[in-house]
Amino acid sequence: MGKPLIIGCGNPDRGDDAAGLLVVKRLRSMGIAAEEHSGEGLALMEAWSGAGSVILIDAVVTGAAPGAISVWDARTAPVSRGAFRASTHSFGAAEAVELARALDRLPASLTIYGIEGKNFERGARPAPEVLAAVEEVAQRIAEQVQSITKEVEG
Amino acid sequence: MAAKTIKVDYLARVEGEGALHVKLRGDRVEDVKLRIFEPPRLFEAFLRGRRIEEAPDITARICGICPVAYQMSAVHAIERALGVTVDPAVRLLRRLIYCGEWIESHALHVYMLHAPDFLGYEDAIEMARDHKETVEQGLRLKKIGNDLMAVLGGREIHPISACLGGFYRVPSKSELLALVEDLKWALEASVATARFVAGFEFPDFEQDYEFVALSHPDEYPLNEGRLVSNKGLDIDVSEYEEHFFEQHAKHSNALQSQLRKRGSYLVGPLARYNLNFSKLTPIAQQTACECKAEPPCLNPFKSIVVRAIELVFACEEALRIIDEYEPPAAPRVDVPVRAGAGQAITEAPRGILYHRYEFDGEGTIRSAKIVPPTSQNQRRIEDDLWQFVPRIAARPVEEITWRCEQAVRNYDPCISCATHFLRMEIVRE
Repeated sequence: MGKPLIIGCGNPDRGDDAAGLLVVKRLRSMGIAAEEHSGEGLALMEAWSGAGSVILIDAVVTGAAPGAISVWDARTAPVSRGAFRASTHSFGAAEAVELARALDRLPASLTIYGIEGKNFERGARPAPEVLAAVEEVAQRIAEQVQSITKEVEG
Repeated sequence: MAAKTIKVDYLARVEGEGALHVKLRGDRVEDVKLRIFEPPRLFEAFLRGRRIEEAPDITARICGICPVAYQMSAVHAIERALGVTVDPAVRLLRRLIYCGEWIESHALHVYMLHAPDFLGYEDAIEMARDHKETVEQGLRLKKIGNDLMAVLGGREIHPISACLGGFYRVPSKSELLALVEDLKWALEASVATARFVAGFEFPDFEQDYEFVALSHPDEYPLNEGRLVSNKGLDIDVSEYEEHFFEQHAKHSNALQSQLRKRGSYLVGPLARYNLNFSKLTPIAQQTACECKAEPPCLNPFKSIVVRAIELVFACEEALRIIDEYEPPAAPRVDVPVRAGAGQAITEAPRGILYHRYEFDGEGTIRSAKIVPPTSQNQRRIEDDLWQFVPRIAARPVEEITWRCEQAVRNYDPCISCATHFLRMEIVRE
């Protein structure tokens, strides 16, 4: 499978919700292409249409400690809709995944990194634990991308 | 007698954050509150001290669903204050970008937000499992609206091209012609949509509404016209504040609008349609007759049919404009700056959107007033529920809740816009 399309979702001005966007920023600093996204579900489906392999990063609320990292293989199991912060019309990343599943529009591979957030207040800064998780997720994705690049080039 | 509380803590399938609280004693409704707790947005205050040229871009940020409406009301209000007349081709393009927004917004509401209520699904995802092609059709329609906005506005969400005097950039004829095949498909799909939703079952519920919409002598209203109602209102938009006032209700972060001495009124597709049916494009009128939905349409639940007919109109109108379009000599005309004050109303997908600006000789905004359609419909939504709930009060709480949410969604409320709203609560005592 070729290079994955990497999409980070979130709102830069709502505390820990920025996590997905910060992963994009970090990956770009490492020379890895990644897309920022508001997380609006229908637009998200459009964003990944035609892509074979997709990595999605978003802030989640599962009840774990802030900064905890969850990884889902969206192809194999339904995504917990309660976990993701829904955007406009309550239609966010999880809804996009489940609607795409119902419509047979899921990419061949879809890995979701969820970074646990706690504070989503307007204007708040992301928590240090969340920033640490951002760095870890970026490193994990970078390694994944580099090994795929090697396979492709090798 | 036992009282029951119907409570929807977080109204789904509406834009923004709000709740509904209904208190019942037997069949009697004791209280209805549409609570909008999305925080105040304060845009009117942000605008003070900013330049008039910034108003269309700042106000577009109020809403991701109807940014064009905000841009259009802003440019028209300021242009009216300065006596600016735009090129006829620019006027057409403004109508065209508005058609894009109507297609995008109406397709989203009809298919993704409202149809699941009528078909008995929790949401569009559940509906998609049984009605895959229908949902695909809705998504494609929405995308075509988005594409139209992107070609004219530079991007589909918060477009950036509209400005005072015209556009920063206007499309070439060939850029618009590239949209024609999709729009022809969209027109057929919209007719099919209207036939599909006209077959739904509608609660037997009609109200004596005061419908308020723009009215234009030659066209179905989008960007301009006089403000009229079915109960005698016929005013220039500059007289809006003499006839309408806003009131703060304790339970809501959105101001509620009322007509002086008359109370609640209805804006949006049902109002436009009942007041302007004769101005609809031919296929839209024909579709309405075929769907047996000729005006007057007094059942708010049938707004889904009217929205679909307006989809037909928006596609037809977009095709007409593209056919007629020749690029203007210049994308915008000069806008001379002087002190002034101006008002405008345009027809956002959800209904009339009022803007007023006052600015000084330097073009600095001194005051701004924005009245979005959901603020105007908020009192009317509560009035509908006061009348509708007693008819279903004997039914199980789950069904009452479902029907109440559906009744709220008749108005396609945009809570983010209205807070300058939906969780639901039914109390049965």
